[in-house]
Formats: sequence, C-alpha cells, structure tokens
Amino acid sequence: MLLIAGLLPLVVMCAKSVSIDGRVSLAHYRDLLASARPWVLMTHSLVLASLTTLCATAIGLPLGILFSKTDLPLGRVFAALFTIPLLAPPYITAVAWFDMLGKARFLGRAWLFGLPGCVLVLTSTFLPVVILLTMTYLNTVNPRLEEAGRLVAGWPRVLRQITIPLVRPGLLLAAMLVFLLTMGEFGVPTFLRYDVFAVESFTQFSAFYNFGAATAAAIPLALVTLVLLAFERRFLRERTCQLRPVSTAERPPTIALGSARGWVLVGVGFLCLILVIAPVSILVWQSLSGGAYLEAFSRAGGSLLRSLAYAALGASLLALLGFLVGYLIHAQALPFWRTLDSLTLFLFALPGTVIGIGLIALWNRPATNFIYATPAIILLGFLAQYSALTSRITVAALGQLPPSMEEAAQVLGAGWLRRTTAIVAPLAKRGLAAGWLVAYIFCLRDMGISMLVYPPGHDTFPVRIFTLMANGSSGLIAALCVLMLAVTLVPLGLLSLGWRAHAH
Amino acid sequence: MRTRSLCLIVLAAVLTVLLSQCARTPSQTVVVYVSEDQVFSEPVLKDFERETGVAVRAVFDTEEAKSTGAMNRLIAEKDNPQADVYWANEPIRAEVLKQRGISAPYVSPNAAGIPDTFKDPEGFWTGFSARARVLLARRGLKVKPESILAYTEPRWKGKAVIANPLFGTTTAQVAALFTVWGDERAKAFLDQLKKNGVKISTSNGESADLVAAGEFEFALVDSDDGASRMRQHKPVEMFYPDQRAGEVGCLIVPNAVLLIQGAPHPANARKLIDYLLSKETERKLAFADCAQIPLHAGVDTPPEVRRIETIRPIEINFAEVARKMQEIQPYLKTWTGL
Repeated sequence: MLLIAGLLPLVVMCAKSVSIDGRVSLAHYRDLLASARPWVLMTHSLVLASLTTLCATAIGLPLGILFSKTDLPLGRVFAALFTIPLLAPPYITAVAWFDMLGKARFLGRAWLFGLPGCVLVLTSTFLPVVILLTMTYLNTVNPRLEEAGRLVAGWPRVLRQITIPLVRPGLLLAAMLVFLLTMGEFGVPTFLRYDVFAVESFTQFSAFYNFGAATAAAIPLALVTLVLLAFERRFLRERTCQLRPVSTAERPPTIALGSARGWVLVGVGFLCLILVIAPVSILVWQSLSGGAYLEAFSRAGGSLLRSLAYAALGASLLALLGFLVGYLIHAQALPFWRTLDSLTLFLFALPGTVIGIGLIALWNRPATNFIYATPAIILLGFLAQYSALTSRITVAALGQLPPSMEEAAQVLGAGWLRRTTAIVAPLAKRGLAAGWLVAYIFCLRDMGISMLVYPPGHDTFPVRIFTLMANGSSGLIAALCVLMLAVTLVPLGLLSLGWRAHAH
Repeated sequence: MRTRSLCLIVLAAVLTVLLSQCARTPSQTVVVYVSEDQVFSEPVLKDFERETGVAVRAVFDTEEAKSTGAMNRLIAEKDNPQADVYWANEPIRAEVLKQRGISAPYVSPNAAGIPDTFKDPEGFWTGFSARARVLLARRGLKVKPESILAYTEPRWKGKAVIANPLFGTTTAQVAALFTVWGDERAKAFLDQLKKNGVKISTSNGESADLVAAGEFEFALVDSDDGASRMRQHKPVEMFYPDQRAGEVGCLIVPNAVLLIQGAPHPANARKLIDYLLSKETERKLAFADCAQIPLHAGVDTPPEVRRIETIRPIEINFAEVARKMQEIQPYLKTWTGL
C-alpha cells in the first residue's frame, strides 16, 4: 500500500521531470540551476525553518519543563491551550493574526507580511510539538538520577546537567519535526507573501501545471529531508522509537517554584494570551458579524461533512496501515524494516504538494479514473503522507507490551493473525486509538494534498476556506476558521473526557 | 459494547456521506472548472442547481494559482477530460484552450445579444459580465493618473504599483499592449516602468490594498478590486484610463465560458452555458460585490457600474492577444526576474 500510495507516484513524478516530449532531458534541472531564484528561495526556506525551529525550541523547552516538572498551577490546561494552533491548518493562525493586528492598529500590520510574520505564526503553530515531546520525554527520565543530583546541587544545575541532556534526543526530534514541517509549509508563506520553495513548487504546478519544473523545484526540499532523516537515523532512531515511561510508582520529583510561582504563572498566561487566546478570540469576535455562520454553513456545509468523512475514513485506514507497518518495524520481522521506517518518515516530511503532484502524475489516465475522479485519490494521499504518525505511535505502544504474552501464544501454536487480533491489538488499543486520533487531526487539517488532487465537487473544508479567501468577507472567513477549530476540538474534547471516565 | 455501537454509527455516517457523494448519476451532473472567484461564482452555480435540478460539481482556482490552475488542469486532462464546462475569468486563456484543441464549439442562443468583440467567431468561447482594467488612485491626489502612461512619468517615480505581469489579467493587459503598440514600444514601456521604480505586487488584490493603505499613489487593477475597496469605504477613487481621443483605451476583460471537447455530460454542459450567458446571470454579477459590467444591452445595473457603451475600449483581437501572451511569456519571466 505504501508503495502504491507513496513511492510509485514519486517515481513517476521524477521520471516525468527528466522527460520532455518523450525524450530524456535534464532541461528542467538545468533551468532551475541556471536561475538565481532557486538559491534565493532555498535561502528563504532555510532561514524561515531555522528561525522557526530556534524560536519554537527556545520557548517550548522551558514551557515543557514548567508544565511537566514544576508545581505551576494549570500546567495541563496551558499545555492543552498551546496545542490549539497545531490542530488547525496553520494559515488559520495567520488569518487570526491578520485580523488581530487589524484591530490593534497601533501595532501596525505591515510587519506581519514577510519573514517576521511567517516566523511568528509558524512558531505558535509548531510550538506544541516541542512542548508535548519535551513533556513526554521528561516522563521517561529516571527520577533516581535527578534525586541523586539534588543531593549535591540545586534544580537549575540538575536540569542543565542531568535532565536536559537525558531528554536531548526528544528535543532534537522535536526540532527536526518543526524544521521539516516549516520547510514543507506553503499556506502561511503564501498568505503572508514570503517566497519559499514549497510555494514555488505549488505555483509551478498549480499555475503552470508544469510537472517537470514542479518536481525540479521539489527536489531541494526532498534533499534537505533526506539529510535530516540520515541525521535522525544516525543519532536518534534507537532513542526516539521506543518510549518507556517510568512506572507510576516512581513519581518524578516536582520543582517547587516558590515565590516565583505567581510571576511565572503571569508570564506563561501572558504568552498564552498573546499566542493563542487573543488571536482565537479575535477570530470568534469577527465571526459574530451578522449572519456569518449562516453563510459559512450554506457555503461550506457540504465541504465540512466531506472533510469529517474523509478524515474519519483516512484515520481508520491509517490506523490499520500504521499498525501493520509499526508491527513490522517493532518486530524487525522483515529484512527491509529499516527502509520501511525511513520511507514513512520521508513521505511524512515531504511537502503535501509534492505528494499531490506525484499522485496526479500516476493516476490521471482513463483506466484509473476510479481513483483519479473519486475521493480515493485524497485517501491515497493521506496514506502516503501520514502513515509515519500511526506507525511510530504503534511502535511506541508495542514497545510497552511484554513480549512474553505473544511468545506464549506462539508456543501454544497460535498463528500470526490470531496472536495479533487476540493479544497484541487489544493490549495496544490505547496506543492505536491515540494513533487514530492523531491521524484524524492531520487528515482533517490537510491542505497540501487535498488542494491539488480533490476531484470536482469533492473539495475539503480547509481547501474551501482557502479558495473563499479570495474576496470573501472577513466575517465569513473568520466564521469558517472558527468552525474548523471547533470540528477539531470538539471530538478531541469528547474523546479525552471518554478516556478519563474509562480510566476512573 | 456502547463504544462499539458508537463506532459503528460513526462508520455508517461516514459511509453514507461518501456514498451520497459518489452516487450521483451522470445525467444529473455537470462538472465545471471555475477561475472566477468562488465567492462570486458559487452563488450563480447554486442558482443553476436550484432552477434546473442538475447538480454542479466544481473545481475552483485559488488566488495563488492566479487563475491559471484550472486552465492548466484542463490541459493536463486533455486525454482524460473530467470537466464539461470551463468558466474562465478572462477570454485569453479560453483562446489558448481553443488553440490547443481542448474546447469544442457551441453557440448558445443566449449569446445573440453579446457584441461580437466579446465572443469567438466559431463559437469556441463566449464572453459575458466583464471587468474593466482601471486605475485605482489614492483619494485626494492633486494630479490624477488618467492614463497607463502615468507609470512612466517621473512625478510618479516609486509611487506606483502593478501586479506581476506573469499572472492573471495583468498578463492579458501587457499582451494586449504588445498587439496594439507593437513589440518595440511595449518593451520600451515595460523598461520605463522598471526605471521609474514601479513596485511589482503578487496580485491585483494586493495592489489595491497597498493603494488603499496609502503606501502607493495608484495601481492598475481590475474594476471589481476597485469597486470592493470603494464599498469598504477605503480612501480610493477609480479611473477608466486612456479615454481621450488618440489614447489607447481601457481594456475590457469579460468572463468567458466554453464547452470542453469530449465533455462527459454535454447536454448539461450546454444548459449551464446557456444559463451563464443569460441576462439574469449578468444582472446578478452586476449587483454582486464584484460589480461586473453586463455585455447584453438593457440589463439592470447599480449606479456605480458603468454601461459597456460608455467606456472606450482598447481595440483588440483576443485570439491575437492569446498568441502574443504565449509568445512573450519567456520575455516577461526575464523581465520579472523569475
């Protein structure tokens, strides 16, 4: 499935990029290298990705520590609030900032367009990646090491010399993810008018429908992705694939903030207000203008339903595929398990527009209209791009199961299918459900793939918001953005409540 | 058990939505690719659905694809056509599609009242509801820019903005000037623009916003961009350029509709084309925020929409402009530095 959905389209796309009128030619690549523009775009992409990664890490690491290890009140609530921008397509945050600066005129709005605005919006969008991974990895630190350190030093030194070095793989993984997600992002740079490679690739295809030039423009992004994946494989893979939380009996020591608690609370609250609450509130306020929601439902109700359906179906297929891939990786069952793992990560890191272009190159022919002209092409795109999410979560979930159970069933003669359905899957069901939920969110917010491949009459909700932005009223756009946030947050909230009730 | 039931209900709902999307039979459907802004075109398509019972499945261009995404998708799908109708927001690209053998001839009975200048003589495309290319200027300027030659005048050095001529209606404008003035004069004009420090924006919308924000004195934009800023009470005013005798005239850019060669639903396609070319559609687009100019005589318009017969247009042949547009694309690419 990964080969059909992910690898084959890329191969076809690369083949098309070296063919002009049926003859082998490197003209697209020569054109790309001959022009000064690619170097400018690459510089822009790298500067944007580096600054966003730097800012997200610099802010996310202390916040992750505060929420996970200190007695800061409302830590979990803040963590949830900071996660909101990640749940929606990033351009919604850009719209929110645009509207907010429109209200706060004294701040001016011109600076938002260009690099500063892109860094601000993408930092607030991808900040939760750093916060959540820091929190997750802090939970895996053996508390005895910190307690031993506390005997001879204060918390600042323990954090600096013991805790942070121990969570460094998680931090590096988070930084890598933020870097790659920023490199592949085209919605925000497009809205805020900052030329980067992902926008160039989308424009070459969407405006010129030039497969060759679009592929050539995508190659530098793929190369950067490959370099980072090689780095991940060399330094991080063994340490980031399997998370083993410490047992609940060994509660990690909590840092008492003492008299600084109030100030820290105010500081974090202020940051949350600026980065999350204010932009979202402005969106909500704008959306309350006369009849905006009625118009939003009448213009985009169908797209909303479709998006929910495609996301649910995509997440279910991804959960299944991710389980199988994750099982293969975890059990190291086949000799090519490392390749499989790298392939899923490579596809995840590629810009959605690149995968979309590959899918069109492969499936746009009369014999395959049952794929090209139906939502199946969107679902194939989801499978290609997001299988790394469910497979990695599956690997982490399976890593926490004692192998003895499956081995015992195997000794008793149970076949693979029986062992998997009767033992492994039920034991890992929480991990699988988490994988489904993460996949659902990513499918729901997807725009890169859907924008390019959606068949006539099958546009998704994020795509519809994006196309309505051209001359749509600000009230309507705000209402659509609020709806987008709501349809992501409501199921998430319900599921989290359900989990809590189940745990109790 | 309750969780399992809930999952089954959710799955059933998902499948219902998907099946309902796929179950429409071909006879009830028409597929249209649209380059006109979705916010203006979709209500018209909805009205068509309501009045005829034919379901419309549409693909809309994004602002970022600069109105060429749908056209290029049609070219890519030449051997595997998905669309029945293309609603272009200008006729140049409709001409390109004709020249590439992607459109088919169809003369709608509703095209009878539309002036010949705005339709293909062989029926490969027909124009309706036009925009004019206007100069949008900051309100209160002592000297008004009334000609596109203002871009080359020293008094406006560094004070004017124009959308990237590689995309959208600005390409059409530049190609039209090449056909009217000849290559040498048109290139000299573009060089003068550069020397005069004209800022290149990403779109007409951005140009209009920059003038409305007071960052530039004037811009050449589409009349709908100008009308919308004026309706938002921005401090701008709109001029139809080059209206005096001996001047080049104002470019009128109608929408264009065409039938796709090998359209999967040809009968419904003709119905939709007839509908788009009706006086009623022109009336709706005149009263919509895009404030487009009807090409039929005797269509009601709001006061701010000028009648087509009161504007002095550039005398052009759209087929020639389309050929020229393709010819000058490499030059424009070099000129813009892409």
